Amino acid sequence: LPAGLSQWFPALEVLDVSGTGLAELGAELLALPHLHTLLAKNNRLGGPGSLPKGLGEAPLGRSLRVLNLSGNRFAEVPPALLGLRGLQSLSLGGNRLHGIPPDIQELRSLEFLYLGGNFITSIPPELANLPSLSCLVLCDNKIQSIPPQLAQLHSLRSLSLHNNLLTYLPREILNLVHLEELSLRGNPLVVRFVRDLTYNPPSLQELAGRTIKTRNVPYAPSDLPENLVQYLSLASNCPNPKCGGVYFDSCVRQIKFVDFCGKYRLPLMHYLCSPECSSPCSSASQSSTSQSESDSEDEASVAARRMQKVLLG
Amino acid sequence: FRYTRNLVDNGNGKFNLMILCWAEGHGSSIHDHTDSHCFMKILQGNLKETLFEWPEKKGNGEMSKKSERVLRENQCAYINDSIGLHRVENISHTESAVSLHLYSPPFDSCNTFDQRTGHKHKVKMTFYSQFGERTLC
Repeated sequence: LPAGLSQWFPALEVLDVSGTGLAELGAELLALPHLHTLLAKNNRLGGPGSLPKGLGEAPLGRSLRVLNLSGNRFAEVPPALLGLRGLQSLSLGGNRLHGIPPDIQELRSLEFLYLGGNFITSIPPELANLPSLSCLVLCDNKIQSIPPQLAQLHSLRSLSLHNNLLTYLPREILNLVHLEELSLRGNPLVVRFVRDLTYNPPSLQELAGRTIKTRNVPYAPSDLPENLVQYLSLASNCPNPKCGGVYFDSCVRQIKFVDFCGKYRLPLMHYLCSPECSSPCSSASQSSTSQSESDSEDEASVAARRMQKVLLG
Repeated sequence: FRYTRNLVDNGNGKFNLMILCWAEGHGSSIHDHTDSHCFMKILQGNLKETLFEWPEKKGNGEMSKKSERVLRENQCAYINDSIGLHRVENISHTESAVSLHLYSPPFDSCNTFDQRTGHKHKVKMTFYSQFGERTLC
């Protein structure tokens, strides 16, 4: 780009240099104080120095709202752009990204994030710290699991996850009450009940702790060694709403199928206090019928119905 | 956030002519065409069309793909229920796509199919805009 760009066109608001073969966007852009949209798709950007140093602090860094770097050669999200606190829309689709940096949370104003068509294998929980994110596109990647923290994205309206390597979703996904669109096709979602085979049976200490908690056995700090008092305070309640049980370290991951709006059955991962748990587990019954195949109405199903257009297609 | 359907002409009730706008990564579900003729022409970009066989009556398995192709700018395609079902997608992560669709007779509902099970579900189809005016509902 010509060095005199910001002197000749100081009022420039939109610049499209897509498909021009550029290998770097240079410092000549930094002094454009009104440039809010920069489109640089289908170029040869991706090497070190693809974006100008000091981008976040420059006039351009404060004005930029839309940045499209799709169809380039970025192997990582360029750190230079993480300083763009006013950026509302970022596209890095069709690059060579293998991951998302936790510092993505610095893009405080981000509403639209397109990362489809890369080689991303996992999502950092810090992504959930973007308060204004309403559209997240992660399709056509290699993602194996979704961190439950993503349910904190309260503004999320559209989530695109199709063509990844997901076998299940975290139960917390049902908390995204404003989600209007969810695409999940092309994932190897489990279709049958799956029991986690690495469940470790609870220790005697755990069993004793559970009994004390569920039977409300009274105790005072003077009755027990300090480490056990501390241990008892860490009891987690079994998330099964029909179960009053607690667990400490020993819990079982279970896939539970939830009917989405009466249309599709989604496998959701959650934790239970024991493999027998799905109904009140006060009775240590031996019957381990496949609980999840026939799900009756419960909190999860009600929450699922709140979500609207689910594009499982 | 998903492809938009924009009605252009309703041919005195004989057909629906509409323009569909597909942003990067947008795709449709697998759907049928409610006994109507469906013509499609690509006005901009590319769209991938994947044809599927109708699922078995009692079928409970993955639907079987018949064929797939990428339709380029100005190419046309035709489908009706006797040919099969299809999914249309903009698989580009950098370019949006625009297509022109002609349905005769017009229809406002169709079935969408779950690729993993073949189960169908009737859906009402809505317009993002009609004759240039945004449709709110």
